[in-house]
Amino acid sequence: MTPTLFGRWQTRCFLLATIGVLVSLPFAFGTLSGWGEPELGPAYFWVLLYVGIFGLGWDILYDFLQRFMWDHDWPGAFQFLAAIAEGVFLGLVILLFGLPHLPSDSFHPLWFIIHYTTVSVIVYHLSWTVMRLLFPRWRLKGGEWLGTWKTAGR
Amino acid sequence: MEIKLTWTNPTNREQQQVRGSLPIALGRDLEEMPAEIDGKPVSRIVLENGQISRFHLLLTKSDAGVIVSDRSKNGTYLNGQRFHQIEQPVVSGDRLQVGACNIMLAWLSVPPIDATQVVALPSAIGATDPNATNIYQEEIIEQAEPSISSAVTLSTTIIFNPETDNPEPYQPLEILPTLDQFPPPQLFSEPFVSVQAIHATGKPVEELDYVALGGGLGSFAWVDSLRVYGVKPGRIAVLGLEKKPYGRYKKLCRNSQIPLHERIRSGSDSCPDNLWGWPGYALREAWSDGLSGHVSSALKHLWKVFAEPAFADTYTPRAGRVFDSLDREAERIGWDGMTRYGRIRAIRKTEDGRYCIAYTVPTRQGNRDHRFLLARYVHLATGYPAVRFLPDLQKFRIETGDFQTVVNAYEDHENIYQHLEKKGGTVVVRGRGIVASRIIQRLNELHQRNPKVNVVHLMRSPKKEGYRYGFAKRAIRNQWEFQPYNWPKATWGGDMRKQLEAAGPQERYELLKAWGGTTTAERHDWQDIVQDGLQSGWYKIEFGSVERVERSNSGKLLTYINSNNRDVQIKIEGDFIIDSTGLEAKPQDNPLLADLLEQYKVPLNPLGRLEVENDFEMKAMRNGKGRMYAAGVLTLGGPYAAVDTFLGLQYCAQRSVYGLAKARAKGIRYLNGLGSFWQWTKWATNQAP
Repeated sequence: MTPTLFGRWQTRCFLLATIGVLVSLPFAFGTLSGWGEPELGPAYFWVLLYVGIFGLGWDILYDFLQRFMWDHDWPGAFQFLAAIAEGVFLGLVILLFGLPHLPSDSFHPLWFIIHYTTVSVIVYHLSWTVMRLLFPRWRLKGGEWLGTWKTAGR
Repeated sequence: MEIKLTWTNPTNREQQQVRGSLPIALGRDLEEMPAEIDGKPVSRIVLENGQISRFHLLLTKSDAGVIVSDRSKNGTYLNGQRFHQIEQPVVSGDRLQVGACNIMLAWLSVPPIDATQVVALPSAIGATDPNATNIYQEEIIEQAEPSISSAVTLSTTIIFNPETDNPEPYQPLEILPTLDQFPPPQLFSEPFVSVQAIHATGKPVEELDYVALGGGLGSFAWVDSLRVYGVKPGRIAVLGLEKKPYGRYKKLCRNSQIPLHERIRSGSDSCPDNLWGWPGYALREAWSDGLSGHVSSALKHLWKVFAEPAFADTYTPRAGRVFDSLDREAERIGWDGMTRYGRIRAIRKTEDGRYCIAYTVPTRQGNRDHRFLLARYVHLATGYPAVRFLPDLQKFRIETGDFQTVVNAYEDHENIYQHLEKKGGTVVVRGRGIVASRIIQRLNELHQRNPKVNVVHLMRSPKKEGYRYGFAKRAIRNQWEFQPYNWPKATWGGDMRKQLEAAGPQERYELLKAWGGTTTAERHDWQDIVQDGLQSGWYKIEFGSVERVERSNSGKLLTYINSNNRDVQIKIEGDFIIDSTGLEAKPQDNPLLADLLEQYKVPLNPLGRLEVENDFEMKAMRNGKGRMYAAGVLTLGGPYAAVDTFLGLQYCAQRSVYGLAKARAKGIRYLNGLGSFWQWTKWATNQAP
């Protein structure tokens, strides 16, 4: 993967908004969520939103770290580790401080981990496959699926 | 009096013809032939063929007629009879056997007025000895200029034969077919050609929408994109010399020691057969390995793709698999029906917003069919015009006529490895890139079988540190600099690509210099080979600049190098020298491009290659609605770095085809979203797009 900063943002937003929401539906509507906690449903979507918001910041950090690699690339292994780091960070923040619409006292670590892991794994795999099939020029633009190529020169 | 000499070039079997007035000298070395005899300037003809002496024979006028005097080492045959170091009278119609060339003589009483009958000459005669050019009148030389190649000036390039596409060890005389001048010079001397005039020539004319020139991987990428974007195969033509799109690439791979089972320096998702890049070669190989029971190697491939380049070596596909996948895709898009075998002679704009391409097809009788193609959109991807050779080695080869012991890595030199396996010997290797590393690998394999194989690696100067850019640095170990691919990965589609595209010409030059340089792939198994070689002594590295190469009395090759810090000249003795410094890419080395550059004043970028826009269009060639694109190594120095790679050619193809879609070119649809997914399923199920 050789993403640009905008590419990271665009890809993250797209995948969370589509695949993330789809995968969270079974969690939210009680099929997989915790028993006896129906108000936990919408929390999953809030988690997605915060993954997105914090992710915008995380992406800036990754873009900076990427420059230490000669190839300016982001190996799959790094993406994997980054997802873990983001998850741990988000979990701790919710647990210790709470976030708007995600109070710390109603935090269920197990379900959070299951939901986050499921979304991450699926998004991770689809980012390597579906993005390429739906947006054939996505990987040639550093992950930016929005916008057109400028043909005119400098 | 004028004499016409006609013969068939033994290498490319092209008929050649030269006319000149007496006296005429024939030989291998321009310097050895006299420039003047009895006050009369001599027309010197150079034939670069090892069996011809430097000054082979001289044709002069005498009172009785014409005399040929043999000055060669081994003699000449006149009508089958050998004569040596004596003079013989000759008449029109006689045949002289000079080396491997059988030359027929003919007398012409009237000096040429009609330029179209005259054939181009080696430019050395015009270039170095203006007095001897009484062969042609002034305007004739002007006319023939674009097709003259510097046959005799010691150039350091080996040309790919324009008819057989093989790298030729010596420059063939670039001569137009004799009796039929094609393309018609009067017609093609203007920048715009009228379509009626083309039809009026009576030659076959084909009218299409899209033409790809080259027929190699660059053309394949463009045509593949066109097909996937919706163009029907009947509207596309491909012109080239090879049957398969990977023909020349495969030949060069084989010669530079990459057999089919070896891996090429390319990534898993650089799939020339699949423009989406999924499934990549790693996934395909893991799948087939897993199915056949080799689960651990399957997992190894997947691990490489996951962890490269930080925690694992970069995955690279096997050459054979890539070629097989290209065969499948070529069949799927109907490649064979679109290709036309032929040698491209010239390109001109037409008056109605299209392009006319003149090409010739060799027939079995040794003649040539002349044809025209008319199309609105043209793609130029003719590839490397030549193979580069270090000047001192080329000089040695031309002077001694020895093309067996001093070779370029891209030539077929299997004879060297066979000799080494049987009898051992010392090989001097020059160059420190990926090709040199492949050669070393092959030599290591030979050394394992025959310990008498030794390698001396000649480098110009030691490198302590690799290139730096920003916060990052390239690694160096044992004088080899490492990078997974030939450019940093982000130049394909990451932030570096964006940066290069947005930069101005000078900044582009600087960036390419900062990111480029000679590197080889970071393979741990190969690094161990080098380490082991250095320790046990069969692999040595020497530094210095080469002054000259000679043959010693005992038959060995002596390389004299000037060492950098001491004023001492070192002599390196070896049995063979392999030059792995690479391929040359000056557009002027290709006569087709030289002609185009001159006719349309196509600008060159700071690296001396064709200047292109961000979407690879050659702006100077825009003709109304017609557009011409260039791809591949001929465009390096412009908006994109990794032009000479599979994915790079696909990038160029996608940019060009996307631009055509925006311009509403005929038959092209946008490719995006579900439409793209649908095309991918057609690929996966092997249906035509």
